[in-house]
Amino acid sequence: MPIELTMPRLSDTMEAGTVVRWNVKEGDAVKSGAVVADIETDKATMEMPCFDDGRIAAILVPSGRQVKVGTPIALVALAGEDLASVKAGGGSGSIASSSSPPVASIAEPAVSKAVPLTSVQTETTHGMEEFGAASARMRVSPVARRMAEDAGIDLAKVIGTGPSGRVIKRDVEAALAQVASNRSSATIMTGTAMSVSTSAAPTSVAPLTLALRGRDIALSSMRQTIARRLVESKTTIPHYQVTMKFGMDALLAMRKSFNDKLASSGIKLSVNDFLVRACALAMAEHPYFNASFAGDSIRVHEQVNIGVAISLPQERGGGLVVGVITDADHKSLRQLSSDARALAEKARTKGLSMQEMSDATFTISNLGMFGVEHFTAIINPPNSAILACGAAIEQPVVRNGVLCVGTEMQVTLSLDHRVIDGAMAAEYLRSLKEFIEEPETLII
Amino acid sequence: MSAVMSNPLFREPLSMAGAEREIEFRDAVREAMCEEMRRDKRVYLLGEEVAQYDGAYKVSKGMLAEFGAARVVDTPISESGFSGMAIGSAMLGLRPIVEFMSWSFSLVAADPILNNAPKMLYMSGGQFGCPIVFRGNDGAGGQLGSTHSWSVEGLFSNVPGVKIVIPSTPADAKGLMKTAIRDDDPVFFLESERLLSMKGHVPEGEYLIPFGHAALRRQGKDCTICSWGRPVHFCLEAAEILAKEGIDCEVIDLRTIRPLDLPTVVASVRKTSAAVVVDQSWSFASPGSELAAQIHRHCFDELDNFVHRVHSDDVPTPYAVALEQEYLPNVRKICEAVRSATYRA
Repeated sequence: MPIELTMPRLSDTMEAGTVVRWNVKEGDAVKSGAVVADIETDKATMEMPCFDDGRIAAILVPSGRQVKVGTPIALVALAGEDLASVKAGGGSGSIASSSSPPVASIAEPAVSKAVPLTSVQTETTHGMEEFGAASARMRVSPVARRMAEDAGIDLAKVIGTGPSGRVIKRDVEAALAQVASNRSSATIMTGTAMSVSTSAAPTSVAPLTLALRGRDIALSSMRQTIARRLVESKTTIPHYQVTMKFGMDALLAMRKSFNDKLASSGIKLSVNDFLVRACALAMAEHPYFNASFAGDSIRVHEQVNIGVAISLPQERGGGLVVGVITDADHKSLRQLSSDARALAEKARTKGLSMQEMSDATFTISNLGMFGVEHFTAIINPPNSAILACGAAIEQPVVRNGVLCVGTEMQVTLSLDHRVIDGAMAAEYLRSLKEFIEEPETLII
Repeated sequence: MSAVMSNPLFREPLSMAGAEREIEFRDAVREAMCEEMRRDKRVYLLGEEVAQYDGAYKVSKGMLAEFGAARVVDTPISESGFSGMAIGSAMLGLRPIVEFMSWSFSLVAADPILNNAPKMLYMSGGQFGCPIVFRGNDGAGGQLGSTHSWSVEGLFSNVPGVKIVIPSTPADAKGLMKTAIRDDDPVFFLESERLLSMKGHVPEGEYLIPFGHAALRRQGKDCTICSWGRPVHFCLEAAEILAKEGIDCEVIDLRTIRPLDLPTVVASVRKTSAAVVVDQSWSFASPGSELAAQIHRHCFDELDNFVHRVHSDDVPTPYAVALEQEYLPNVRKICEAVRSATYRA
């Protein structure tokens, strides 16, 4: 049996993927483990290995084309299998094709000769599949093609929901509706991209009463994901916020002292590194902050993986990703710092792999370096909390009845009330406060 | 002439003005024949059992009494003979109506009805026309076995020179029969034994329904279902089921397959982008395959999917009641085809 390569699901949120590049062509021999294609997911470009030895019999999806997860994208003929017949005989993956063999192959015993060879009686299978895989060209129904041409829509950006990824009328209609709503939208970022599958919950956009002029910027995969995931988060999770101020003098003094000593080794601890460490250590006492709401239960995670929001430079298309520091509760400050730095560096240059963005159990978003005093963040599902950190700012403080100058930082937790109640949030913040204000506790 | 006739396109459902009465399909066919025989002395009826027995299916009930044995003629069981005789009389100026007890029996008259009648005008260089109507039961009558359950439109629509009428309602049967009798070319008029007792509102008095003008039986926006004759009723039933699933079907009753009302079909498919053709003949080289090919040609850039077809299965008609039901284009098959054609399968 030939092997059907299908669009893999490379992340939990991935619904469709784009074949960025084929590294093989039809007829090429492939070995198990060979990278046959580069696949762009909603967040990263990843390599797709082949798991069998054989030869590429057919490439079903051309590069540059986005298809839904599970769509066949190539056929691999195994040893002893004929390339041409594999190409002609398979690829549909449809049950119908195997249960109704091509007319030409019917070689029934003489007994049944009296019965006319069957032709299609009720045509519900999709013709092409019955006679083997068609070429890898884009499949578009005629009316969908015409509508897209009339409206100036790039068909390559439309996900086909018909058989074998065929772009059909409703796909173009969905794209048209999206374009229309984007045009009438005051902000571009809240729209769902046209290339998001129609199965994704559409994001509603507020209509504008005034016809404002502007230019429409197509959403990148990342921005589509941001739009979809954050709307989902903000509309399905009962968010609330709790804010607390931390005195930062002790921590800043310690940081300065450490950094002075570590200068020669190239290590420079950031305030954020201390925060990551504090948040991770506090999980031992507050397991619900390292948990996910799971419908009829709450999953308390064993691992403490702290996600750190990393903004990307405009020249890389902007946006943000969440890099994940795994087992953050078991890592030293020095290790955390080096992990965080490596993640940010890679995110801003090469881009993070799926693994480096997966399985955060708690997230920190820090705008302190921009001088922001206070803000609130949207929970990064399936986390149940996110910490928004402002800047450490010198300001008048009262200590022991005396007005003096101190450095304070405001942090705001956004919480999923299904998992965490207000008093629990206050206790978690108090633990963080202890760690931050008595920073030696972070070291031991 | 009624208001109905004055509508040149006649694509809307038949006006029911003055049609409070309900009569059976067989009564409507008889009323058309009687009206035309009163109007035109050249018109006469012949066939097996049509006179003294009032017709095997009582379509010609009472006609012998009104018109006499010279115009309502019992024949021997000899389809080839009486068809040939009727064709000869048509060539010489009469306007015969030939009743086949079943169209399945017309096969023994293949030479006169396919080789003589449709070609006469052409082969005689215009010297002889052939204004004749052949009519009778077509399609599966219900456990009649394979040899008596022909849907002859699959075979006969292939022949140039014939007009083929397949009405689905009593009102259409009357209006189309009157047009058939007045037509100067041979007309094959295909009734269904299963529809003969169907009652419907039929306008009294004179009206004619022109050939080549489909009737819109149901308006919809998601899928065009095209059919003719008995399966139209299955299509309407399927459309109700599909409506509950959110698939809004347009049902077009072609009424005649030669000529074929392509403009109505094309206009509908351009609106819906999806088409299902339901034809009770076998699929290979059938009116259904012809209509599908025409839709593909004329609506190519409007189609969202290939035209789906529902036919009788490609086997001789089974006798067993459950098998026969499954063999015919039924509501389930139509629903499946529409779901597939609209990608809702």
